[in-house]
Amino acid sequence: MRKYSLSYFLSQSFKGLWRNGVMSAASILVLMALLIVMGSFSLLVYNIDVNLENIGVLNEIVVFCDENCTDEEIADIGRQIRLLDNVNEDMVKHNTKQQILDEERAKYAGTEVENVFKEMVDRGVNPYRDEFIVTYNDNSEVTTLEYQLGQIQGIDKINSRADLAEKVEGIKNSVTFIFIFFLVVLFVVSLFVIINTIKLAVYARKQEIAIMRYVGATKWFITLPFVFEGMLIGLIASGVAYLVEWYMYTYIGKMLMQNSSILTIVPFSQVDGFVILGFLAVGLFSGIVGSAISLRKYLKA
Amino acid sequence: MIEFKNVCKKYPNGTLALDDVSLTINDGEFVFIVGESGAGKSTMLKTLFREEKISSGSLTVDGYDLVKIKNRQIPHYRRKLGIVFQDFRLFPDKTVFENVAFAMRVIGEPTRSIKRRVPTILSIVGLQDKYNDFPRELSGGEQQRVALARALANNPSIIIADEPTGNVDPKMSLDIMNLLLKIQKRGKTVLVVTHEKNFVDYFQQRVITIKNGKIVDDKVGGMFDA
Repeated sequence: MRKYSLSYFLSQSFKGLWRNGVMSAASILVLMALLIVMGSFSLLVYNIDVNLENIGVLNEIVVFCDENCTDEEIADIGRQIRLLDNVNEDMVKHNTKQQILDEERAKYAGTEVENVFKEMVDRGVNPYRDEFIVTYNDNSEVTTLEYQLGQIQGIDKINSRADLAEKVEGIKNSVTFIFIFFLVVLFVVSLFVIINTIKLAVYARKQEIAIMRYVGATKWFITLPFVFEGMLIGLIASGVAYLVEWYMYTYIGKMLMQNSSILTIVPFSQVDGFVILGFLAVGLFSGIVGSAISLRKYLKA
Repeated sequence: MIEFKNVCKKYPNGTLALDDVSLTINDGEFVFIVGESGAGKSTMLKTLFREEKISSGSLTVDGYDLVKIKNRQIPHYRRKLGIVFQDFRLFPDKTVFENVAFAMRVIGEPTRSIKRRVPTILSIVGLQDKYNDFPRELSGGEQQRVALARALANNPSIIIADEPTGNVDPKMSLDIMNLLLKIQKRGKTVLVVTHEKNFVDYFQQRVITIKNGKIVDDKVGGMFDA
């Protein structure tokens, strides 16, 4: 059986890439830009998610009872909290002041502070108050909830990080929206540029293609060098984009870590596999689809 | 064998390029196809390359039914044909050897076989000393001989030459015609579309005359009378 040589197709693809140098470079650059923007936004969204998970207590409010409240009054406060709309009934946790003291004492056992706790117990003093940890459902209704809690008799203090949670949620939504918008626009543009690059290559080799057809070349023989050319564009763009992304992410990550102690930046080594796979998938897909679309009319018998 | 039976070809704009054409060309024949511009010669060739489908009738070439042929079979069918154009259609950046080898490479011929066969073909067309020359270094006649060598590369059973001497000086034209005759003597069917009255009259082969898409004359040893 006659076999076509892979090296022939590859050499033709490289020649094609070289012959249409400017357009090939343009395709690589546009695709690279798409991949970098896509990668950066994906990593940003992922990091926001991780940080949100880390500060999962954001949808919790800690309510401190008045120190003069009786056990009965505290139980009543608990009942009233559980009845509120935005409160997850099963997720209201009551910590008595004795429990808190015991926990704190155990936490500092064997340290210098241990004596302070011993003294407190000996003197029958407990500076802590009963508290309720309230997990709520809807972030957007948290202000109402805070007001409602404030209205309950016997509640002395309310601790909430709702403002921060709201801001982070808002940022996350905006970033996701911008991410999708840019992704679609850049994808269409890069596909368009790749299609035009291959079209130019096809046009330049129109006569060659015509002769190929006359001497009995199969569609695959005619098509493969162009598909390979598209794949090469995708491959080069993916490779360069990966290196740029790696450098950028590490650099910006370091900078953010230096300036903020709250933020967690996922190390690049944990996501590099996804990044390169994603880049290769999008790069090769656009390369192959671009070539296939521009060659469609030449595939007719 | 080539067989046209009541073949009509009508283009979407309404032009009837072939009008009830019926003819048979047997294996090993040498046939001139003559006619004025727009008579239907090119359409006839296009239907033979299967670049155009016929509108009605039947067309059979070397056992291939060109009406029923599937798209994926067309490349294999075309390997039965060797085609030569007036404008040579050589690759300017490829040497003589590479131009001929190209035809073999596209059908997946192994390199070893290409290296063995190309010199043989080039010696048939008298270009055994021009392997490494580029088309620009050759005369029109020599370029057409390269095109002929390329047409012969895959050992087709039919050679179709569309105005093969149109861009060649008179002396070289005679060489080309003699070469085509030599190829026919080797058992190939040769179809030559031409305007060259002198050659048609001189070579005394079968002449098919087309006018307004119809065959108006078909004679062995005929004369150019378009």
